[in-house]
Amino acid sequence: MKHRRRLLSTNASHYLLWALALLVIVGPLAPVAAASLWSTPLYDSGGHFTWDNFHALFTDGGWWTAVGNSILFAALNTAASIVVGVACAVFLTRTDIPGRRILTTLLLLPIALPGLVLIVGWAAMWTPAGFASSWLETNTFLSMPVDLYSIPGMAMVGMTVASPTVFLLCRGTMLSIDPALEDAARTLGAGPLRSLLSVSLPLLRPAITNAALLVFALSMEVLGLPLILGYSSKINLISTYLYDHWTNDAQQGLVSAGAVFLLVAVAGLLVLRNRLVGDTARFTTTTGKPTGVRVLKLGWVRWLVSGGLALFLTVSVVVPLAGVVLAAFTSILSPFISPWSVLTLDNFSAVFDNALYTSSIVNSLLIAGVGGALTTLVIAVLSVIAHRSRFRFRGSLQQGMLWPRMMPALVTGMAFFWSFALLDKSGAIRSSLWGIGIAFAVRSLALGYSAFYPALAAIGADLDHAARTSGASWWTAMRTVVFRLVAPAMGASFVLLFVAMLNDAEPAVFLVTDKTPVLGLTMLQLAATSIGGSVAALGVIQMVITLVVLGAGRALLGVRPRA
Amino acid sequence: MPSLHLTNLTKRFSRHTALHELSLTVQDGEIFTLLGPSGCGKSTTLWSIAGLHQPDSGSIAFGDRVVFEHGRVNVEPEHRNCGVVFQSYAIWPHMSVAANVAYPLKLRKMAKAQRERRVREVLDLVELADHARAYPHQLSGGQQQRVALARALAHPPDMLLLDEPFSNLDAKLRDRSRQWLKALQAQVGVTTVFVTHDQDEALSVSDRIAVMSQGRVHQVGTPNEIYEHPADLFVADFVGTANILTAIVTEADGSHALLRIDGLDQPLRVPHTDKRLGTARICIRPENIDIHRSGSAVGPPPDALTGTVENRAYLGDHYRYTVRIGASPVTVTTTRPVDDGELTISLPPADIRVFHEEPASDVLEEAPSNEENQHASVH
Repeated sequence: MKHRRRLLSTNASHYLLWALALLVIVGPLAPVAAASLWSTPLYDSGGHFTWDNFHALFTDGGWWTAVGNSILFAALNTAASIVVGVACAVFLTRTDIPGRRILTTLLLLPIALPGLVLIVGWAAMWTPAGFASSWLETNTFLSMPVDLYSIPGMAMVGMTVASPTVFLLCRGTMLSIDPALEDAARTLGAGPLRSLLSVSLPLLRPAITNAALLVFALSMEVLGLPLILGYSSKINLISTYLYDHWTNDAQQGLVSAGAVFLLVAVAGLLVLRNRLVGDTARFTTTTGKPTGVRVLKLGWVRWLVSGGLALFLTVSVVVPLAGVVLAAFTSILSPFISPWSVLTLDNFSAVFDNALYTSSIVNSLLIAGVGGALTTLVIAVLSVIAHRSRFRFRGSLQQGMLWPRMMPALVTGMAFFWSFALLDKSGAIRSSLWGIGIAFAVRSLALGYSAFYPALAAIGADLDHAARTSGASWWTAMRTVVFRLVAPAMGASFVLLFVAMLNDAEPAVFLVTDKTPVLGLTMLQLAATSIGGSVAALGVIQMVITLVVLGAGRALLGVRPRA
Repeated sequence: MPSLHLTNLTKRFSRHTALHELSLTVQDGEIFTLLGPSGCGKSTTLWSIAGLHQPDSGSIAFGDRVVFEHGRVNVEPEHRNCGVVFQSYAIWPHMSVAANVAYPLKLRKMAKAQRERRVREVLDLVELADHARAYPHQLSGGQQQRVALARALAHPPDMLLLDEPFSNLDAKLRDRSRQWLKALQAQVGVTTVFVTHDQDEALSVSDRIAVMSQGRVHQVGTPNEIYEHPADLFVADFVGTANILTAIVTEADGSHALLRIDGLDQPLRVPHTDKRLGTARICIRPENIDIHRSGSAVGPPPDALTGTVENRAYLGDHYRYTVRIGASPVTVTTTRPVDDGELTISLPPADIRVFHEEPASDVLEEAPSNEENQHASVH
């Protein structure tokens, strides 16, 4: 049989793609480290190696205050989320409280929505001067007990977004626990509640550890929440400290040093998490209806529990969301003026008349659409090399695709900033959407990969082998058999990537230019200064696009929320 | 059609060695079966032939064409021209039957008209011409398996490799499929390597069998040789049922040996070429044990023994009884039932096989107690 001359042998093509992937994913970190150790910004010539940046960082009292605040915030957030998340996992999965379906949907809503929208809603409603707080104070004897402009307050808001994550991770485990374990306790004399608490709850420990480390790490790096809620009362977390000194002082060396510190801390936590929990935990998904799950009957108490949960979710999810919608459709949001009398579409027309906002929306749609599609393709190609080939370094490729999740988003953005500064002196990449697009893509790589990989694993290796023995080269086998069969999973991956890249903000902080505004960052910058009608209107637009795309994804491809 | 030569193949996985210096030759045109329990290395051997696994040493040749030699040659699977039928069939669900079968032809850039003709031809061969446009999920297991076979034969292969192709079918269908495959192979004439753990299948389908366990070949031979003259206890026990008893060889002259078997009064003189004396194991098949019934013209021979029937089972076409010889349980099968509580049996010397080895613990039941009950001196 005649050999077809190929430009590149299969093995060589694997090496090439592997090198490119690692270059783009891990490579940019080198310039960050370099920038932190250099006396002048990397795009200027000259300068020398120095420890001054780190010195300045560690001698700045403000920095250590920020670190202390971050740790406190993360600890409070984690503790609260674990309590709420585990309680919800138990109540909503294993008991007979009424309205479980609605309560679960409400609980999971914050994960499906763009992060900033909820925070804007909280700020509009539950801050001391917010609509809901004021309404409560004037019309009832109740008042909002927690000041949102404090660290405990911020932790409470953070908990709203983090407890669904804990819930998903714990629910997955709860559903996979063999009912026979509790049955055994029952036959030995334990009542239903006792067997639940003494058998199943301890079995949740790995899931709880997993969730706790994840939430703690994410709390350390988040920017939107402290920017909106902490700014006015001068509470600095690590992320706002870095943001502040970059945008206001232009102290790039200092900020780079801080970024290195943040990177080591967060990456260290997540590496620890992987070591403790292992590979499978990363790909927890929600599954369909469980069979054989023992339901605990609570009697009349169940109405109390249900009511309590409903109240909690109303306060933490429904009210803030309503706040965003109200603020978007009214000219003034105040408890002293009936909202119905000030209904208006002016906020939306203000948005569409403003060039900055419209180009933000268009840019983000472009990045999400084109960038999302390209990223999906890249993930598919890298995944088959990582899992279906005999490439020598495929293990490193698997790890590599999950690595960006361990990097704080801010650091990812900074890494690309410095990389472009070094490699592209003309500034062409940065002034186009490709700069931000690549950063967003790398940031969301792990998300897309985790949505894609289980489907790939479900396709038996025999199907590739049959193609090979029928005469197909490795790439032909992938193209004609594997990719065709994982097409739905690629679609699901695209949906998740689209939504993530549409709303992403942090990586853009250091990369954004006047010509390349993006939706998430524009909203963030706006919300940092004031919560007005325009912000809410942008938030509603963001929310609507997100929900439509997710809804279509769920209907057509079965896309489900993931931790 | 080329012959197949495997020389000194070794394959190590991280925890264990799957193949130990395996060497085999398959004659051109024959059906050669690799038979053995799970984990014996038979599938690993098959994948090495196909090019889907790379052995750590040794060489593989199709006729004079070397397709693998460790360190020098490794022909990719797509260039080895082996037709492979996978245990799971591996029919592509997103393609119709005709598209599945046409795939290897499309890859070789066959012209459309010629390709369609060949697909029809091959589907006729496997009796699936009516289902050309169906999709895999619309077919039964047996039909999917025939699609897999058709696809493997579409572009005439140098070698046909089958990995437990019938294990997913029910018993009746399995039997029919075996006969059908044998007829097909005779018609096509392709050198075939067949992997199975089912000894009935191996015996009925093969021209020659290699019995394997733990990465090594115990015996290569025709079905008759394997069954009637097993090379060691493992083969004796794995292929068919074997009654294994302890015996002492008191005399051996190179053509016959004198055995003392615990439980039998008289020593037995059996054909045996090994001259070693001492403890040995003997094996005799249940159907070869003679049963002497009361009321028959010829009386029982002097070395017959009568024992209580400990267990009886009816299997439709034969009966199975368990008696004891000494301390060992022995299975006897017969087509005519024995109604008494006792059974008189004798062991025909020509059917006894003697092995000078210690069996693995799972081959011999009650081995420790046998040792203990052994009389120290037996004269």
